[in-house]
Amino acid sequence: MNASLRIGLTSLRAHRRRFAGTFLAVFLGVAFLTGTLVMGDTLRASFGSMFGEATSGTDAVVRGADAITTPGEAQGVRRPVDTSLVRAVERVPGVAAAEPNIQGAGQLVGSDGKPVGGQGPPTLAGNWITDPRLNPYRLAEGRVPVRSGEVVVNRGAAKKGGLRIGDTTTLRTPDPVKVTVVGLATFGGQDGMAQVTFTGMTRADAEKYLTARPGQASAIEVRAGPGVSQRDLVRRLTPVLPEGVEAVTGQQSAQENTDMISSQFLTLFTTFLLVFSGVALLVATFSIHNTFAIVVAQRTRENALLRALGAARRQVTAAALAEACLVALTASLAGLAGGIGIAAGLQALFPAIGFPFPDGDLVIRTLSMVLPLAVGIVVCLGSALLPARRAGRTAPLAALRETAVDTSGTSRPRAVGGTLLGALALAAALAGVLLTPSVWLAGLGALLALAAFVVLGPVAATTAVRLLGGPLDRLRGVTGSLARRNALRNPKRTAATASALMIGVAVVALFTVFGASLKATMDRTVSRSFAGDVAVSSPSFGAGGSGLSPRLAPALRRLTQVDTAVGLGRGVARVNGGGRALTVTDPVALARTLDLGTVTGSLRDLGTDGIAITRAEADRRHLRTGHTARLTFTDGRTERFTVRAVYGRSELAGDYVITRAAWAPHRTQDADSLVAVTFRHGVGTDAGKAAVRRIAARYGNPEVQTRDEYARSSAGGIDMMLTLVYALLALAVVIALLGIANTLTLALYERGREMGLLRAVGQTRAQLRAMVRWESVLVAAFGTAGGLGLGTFLGWVLVKASDGASDTAFAFALPSARLAVVALVGLTAGALAGLRPALRAARQDVLGAIATD
Amino acid sequence: MTATTALRAAARVAGAVKVYGGGDTAVRALDGVDVSFPAGRFTAIMGPSGSGKSTLMHCAAGLDTLTSGAAWIGDTELGALDDRRLTLLRRDRIGFVFQAFNLVPTLTVAENITLPLDLAGRRGDREWIDALVDIVGLRDRLHHRPSQLSGGQQQRVAVARAFAGRPDVVFADEPTGNLDSRSGAEVLGLLGSAARETDRTVVMVTHDPVAAAHADEVLFLADGRLVDRMGSPTPDRVLDRMKAFEART
Repeated sequence: MNASLRIGLTSLRAHRRRFAGTFLAVFLGVAFLTGTLVMGDTLRASFGSMFGEATSGTDAVVRGADAITTPGEAQGVRRPVDTSLVRAVERVPGVAAAEPNIQGAGQLVGSDGKPVGGQGPPTLAGNWITDPRLNPYRLAEGRVPVRSGEVVVNRGAAKKGGLRIGDTTTLRTPDPVKVTVVGLATFGGQDGMAQVTFTGMTRADAEKYLTARPGQASAIEVRAGPGVSQRDLVRRLTPVLPEGVEAVTGQQSAQENTDMISSQFLTLFTTFLLVFSGVALLVATFSIHNTFAIVVAQRTRENALLRALGAARRQVTAAALAEACLVALTASLAGLAGGIGIAAGLQALFPAIGFPFPDGDLVIRTLSMVLPLAVGIVVCLGSALLPARRAGRTAPLAALRETAVDTSGTSRPRAVGGTLLGALALAAALAGVLLTPSVWLAGLGALLALAAFVVLGPVAATTAVRLLGGPLDRLRGVTGSLARRNALRNPKRTAATASALMIGVAVVALFTVFGASLKATMDRTVSRSFAGDVAVSSPSFGAGGSGLSPRLAPALRRLTQVDTAVGLGRGVARVNGGGRALTVTDPVALARTLDLGTVTGSLRDLGTDGIAITRAEADRRHLRTGHTARLTFTDGRTERFTVRAVYGRSELAGDYVITRAAWAPHRTQDADSLVAVTFRHGVGTDAGKAAVRRIAARYGNPEVQTRDEYARSSAGGIDMMLTLVYALLALAVVIALLGIANTLTLALYERGREMGLLRAVGQTRAQLRAMVRWESVLVAAFGTAGGLGLGTFLGWVLVKASDGASDTAFAFALPSARLAVVALVGLTAGALAGLRPALRAARQDVLGAIATD
Repeated sequence: MTATTALRAAARVAGAVKVYGGGDTAVRALDGVDVSFPAGRFTAIMGPSGSGKSTLMHCAAGLDTLTSGAAWIGDTELGALDDRRLTLLRRDRIGFVFQAFNLVPTLTVAENITLPLDLAGRRGDREWIDALVDIVGLRDRLHHRPSQLSGGQQQRVAVARAFAGRPDVVFADEPTGNLDSRSGAEVLGLLGSAARETDRTVVMVTHDPVAAAHADEVLFLADGRLVDRMGSPTPDRVLDRMKAFEART
């Protein structure tokens, strides 16, 4: 065996414990990465096979050829197909069966009176397709609906809503429909299509409640006769279809559905997780680098001996790298196994917490193994490269040096370079914020700021620890003083240790600040543009269930307490060629309940051929009052609209407003997303709210909120996101703390003799433990303070840059209470990280440490 | 022994046995030693390496525990104390001077001197400490770090620290082992004068006859047993005794 490799191997065997921290850091990072990749692939494959299985009986789908897609939506809206076409399709040779598929939004109300789902995945309703092979849902219990009001519900939705066969409940379509559950269904062998709820009703009911007018279907599902392939079928169907209607194979349709779920949900989900494994690995890099640096410093004597005996520089470096390589390889391989374990665990865990992800075998692609392995090894070797080179440079006569104080990190060039970098970062960030609002320039500033922090770390560590540890002397006497000086004795090491935590805390702080600012922005938006007294709304997060009944607003208007009640419906059209969301409402009433900003032109007479646009959109599209715009609706018809008004604020009203009369000929299943209500003069909020609530109870019982409540709940989704982000970042912080514990343990090895001396002259075990703990807290405090500062700054930059770069005016908010909690968590975690090293140091034998020979 | 029992003993061991390891590899480092260190005297323990002299000191000073037998500091029996009380006893009633690595590198000279007092949270007798600083001649070095001092200076700081808390007894383990002869003589002179002038007990382990000659009395240890003692030693007499001793064994 090669000499370098052998030396690396034996020294690794001798100092296994020293690499425990490195091993853990690499292991966690790689495991998280592998887990994410494997889980993503597995979910994708499971969804694919679930769709494939569920729709295996459908050989072709006849549907509107054209889909209008608005920005930010994955699935376009297609023009409905005439159900009369079913007859023509059935007559095509090779067709065994054809049935219309009438789908819309339908949200069940559970046995507890609360709506089922609606916080993300869609809530669907449709006709129960009678041909069992064409129906993606299978009847699992009970029977199929035959009479009006009878429904089959997917088993997952029934479980969630506490509904059983025979129960009667309300289905919001969004008009409340009284329904009786007569059967339970499964989808592709699962309780449902992930979290999507489905209610199957009779065809007559579906046509009545889910479409704008009878005789329309979302699509026609077709089954081929024996010996006819899917492609053949499509080829035979195409000639009988009218213009604007297409036929695609069942496979293609299933693939599109899978892709839709992948792009809308899975890609987002996995990207999100990948970003966090990136942060975790970045943090790990610092910890790993630190461990190797210390180990090499401790081995100066050994390496000097090797060099004196004739080992070449390269050989010493190679020995150190061989050691790092072995650690990297074992930790990464263990990480791969751990990652598969994580994926398997999550697969088992999701159903347990009511997240019916489809099960199936884990999909382990080569890439999901090779990529994390490569990343683990590169991170580990990369971090070890500099220390290994330093090991090679050891002079053969390197004397035994007492590890007193090493201030090599606080050099002048470093201070100057770091300051320059910091100034550059500030300049870039400020330019990105103030001069030419650009997220890219601001992002560059953010990156430079991070680099400046890392470079300046050792210089800053001295000042920061002195400052942070100042009160410690008075508080804890000589114990505190010793802790502070120990943290100061090698600023480079302290800084590197703290950097890991700093990055973790900075990302936490960034999200906290950005989240709070987003909340403040939404809060401000709503309280500024909502001029009404109460709002009736469907959840603003995700698909938002089935929305509100369009009949609610007129019903509310009849109340004596109510002055104005206006519903905001949603429509879709292609405006001059680009898909856009429309707000369908009564523009005059809208102006009374929402603050639309400055309006040029008049909202009074939009009529059936007028449209109102926000100023920002008008500028983008070069439209002004008096101009005409071509709107193409989902029914395929195109009409010319005249811009009659341009208004300032789009926040609640959206970019385009048309009247209900203009929308009526093209309407689909109608639903309002918000009903804004103002009371008559002299009506108290409580009395008015109670009256509105009484009426709302008859329309599926949506939530009635005062202006403040509405503003607060609009931002509710952000808290949910933040919680998730915190949970994921906890991993990075744990890795950082492992790093602190590891560095501390290694430093204590170095100071063994000193500890023995302290114990001999009368330091009690408790005092020694306190000394180590305080040192750990100080390092953590430095990292936390740096992270908070950096994160807050980056948050500010991000908010300001977004403010400049988008239409919405962003508010900057500094959530001091939350940041204080982050700081407290950082300090507590520091104390925890010091716990084990402190215990180990205190357990050390006094004599063993001071013995001179 | 009859001459010394009349004096009050600052530290003492009786029937001291220390066995390292077990079974076939067991080593009896101390094999039934009875000795007391009279108060106010400077005693040196001599012996070839492996004689058990360091073990004796460590056990008498509460740094190590005896396998059997007993050790006292004043009237306090060390075997009855747990780690905490033993630590407090070392802090409050014993001073230490080791061969090397005597000082905490992050603390200044002044802070190193008052370290045991600071650990106890006591202010100590400032006049006494002031006087000590002058005795060891480090007034102009008080705010230096150990790394800025020579080896001799470092040991002088250690001596000042050992006496700072007015301990019952100061144990010195080869205090001149790492020093040149001149610095060594200075440190030994300091130990002796500090003991006599302030009426403190000093116990020193050494293998150097010249160092041992600074003491009031020299005890000779061999194979874990007390084999001889000598009052008013001179370097030559100690060396002769050691030679004779080595010839006999």
